Amino acid sequence: MSISLKRVRAIFVKDYKEFSRNYAVSIILIFPIIFALLLRGTDPSLTGVFGLVLNSSFVILTTFAQACLIAEEKERNTLRSLMMTPATTMDVLIGKSTLVFAMSAVVLAIATYIFGYEPVNIWVFVAVIILSIILYTAAGTICGLFSKTLLEASLSIIPVAIVFTGAPGGALLVKDFPIFKVLEYVPSSQLVNLLNIRNIGYTTGDLLKPLLVTLAWTIVFIIVAVVLYQRRLKDE
Amino acid sequence: MNVIQVEHIRKRFGNKDALADVSFSIPKGEIFGFLGPSGSGKTTLIKILTAQLHPTSGQARVLDQPAEMMHHSVQKMRFGILTDNSGLYERLTIEENLELYRQLYALPKSSISKVLQFVNLSEERNKRVNLLSKGMRQRVMLACAIIHEPELLFLDEPTSALDPVNSAHIYKGLRYLHEKGTTIFLTTHDMAEAELLCNRVAILYQGQIQTIGSPKELKRQHRENVVCVDLINGEAYELPIDEGTADRIADWMKRGLIDRLATKEPSLGDIFIKMTGSELL
Repeated sequence: MSISLKRVRAIFVKDYKEFSRNYAVSIILIFPIIFALLLRGTDPSLTGVFGLVLNSSFVILTTFAQACLIAEEKERNTLRSLMMTPATTMDVLIGKSTLVFAMSAVVLAIATYIFGYEPVNIWVFVAVIILSIILYTAAGTICGLFSKTLLEASLSIIPVAIVFTGAPGGALLVKDFPIFKVLEYVPSSQLVNLLNIRNIGYTTGDLLKPLLVTLAWTIVFIIVAVVLYQRRLKDE
Repeated sequence: MNVIQVEHIRKRFGNKDALADVSFSIPKGEIFGFLGPSGSGKTTLIKILTAQLHPTSGQARVLDQPAEMMHHSVQKMRFGILTDNSGLYERLTIEENLELYRQLYALPKSSISKVLQFVNLSEERNKRVNLLSKGMRQRVMLACAIIHEPELLFLDEPTSALDPVNSAHIYKGLRYLHEKGTTIFLTTHDMAEAELLCNRVAILYQGQIQTIGSPKELKRQHRENVVCVDLINGEAYELPIDEGTADRIADWMKRGLIDRLATKEPSLGDIFIKMTGSELL
């Protein structure tokens, strides 16, 4: 499948202009920073708090913004117009995801700086954060493609918020509810596990597991988003 | 060379045929009107021809390729489309909307000014779309559809709900495109529009083509075999075309009594009603 960087850039620039004039949605950029400011005074050993900041930011910022961008295009019929141009599926999906990816990366970098979190391995931490942004962007794309209106898109992210943000908390109840073991494999739980790794006594496997699990989820979500988009190209 | 070739297309939704065995062809450079009331299958056919919908059976070729290939970028460069499902970016200006399309079609910057001139919106180029009237928005959508000067243009009721001034702007634009060789596939339920613009029309009703031909041909085919005569004294006659009538008219002419003499031609709307028993609404 071909990708034209010029077309990707054209869609990105268009989205940037639209987003910067859409104050109702662009205000969400400040939420992760507010969370970080409010919680930065907590005990640095409570990495779960920082995990909560990151995981809720992924949903509130990344998934919500992406879902709104896609749903608004559907609501106003611009997505169908875009589909009728030479832009390929990948041109549109990458172009429409780049803005949210860039915004999330910058805002989460600021939030991490404010919170003062120092990872044991910066490269693995950055890789997991990048994969998570891609994963939650794909989740937003899926929510947006399932929604017909902006309102529906806002509601459609609730299951994502419950499952993904709530998973690390749910995984703590595994002793009482063994079925919750599955929640340990949700990317948000893996991110918290990564944040919990201390400077001493960890193995490469401890670092790689969150990375690989998040990578697997990311691949699955990207595939679902692409397939769903291609189905939306047709009316049946 | 046929730009569109449709053979025995059938599209079934549930237990209802939206299109039932539709066949026709459109040669290059023609403005072809697809006429029919709402729900007659016009939009369904456009969707099949632009690969947005699969036919249940039959086949269609568009621009030398099977219709299902129309979702490929190379084919998309060759056609433009304006339908009910077209939209604009509300927070962007007219020029910013067109700039997106210019870049997607990899066109030179001058194409924006050219198309704005064409739809008569050069002075409004910096206006935001959410401040435009419905007619202006429709013209911007047309500009987006034709900025790349497509070989084939699909228009689904382009002037529905537009005032005569805005419709006239669009007609002017379409005639210009036609002169440049663009083939135009136009669906409408406006008979006057079809008569004004189209080289040929097909009347679609209940998923089937009832008749096809040029407006002139159709009118001739469905012409009543009578001649209308208005005399200067106010009397009016509808007379059968035969030898007796010829003698009578010759006599009136000699005496200088004829005010108006005409054959009785039906409008396209009359033909539609005659063929389907339905009003075009």
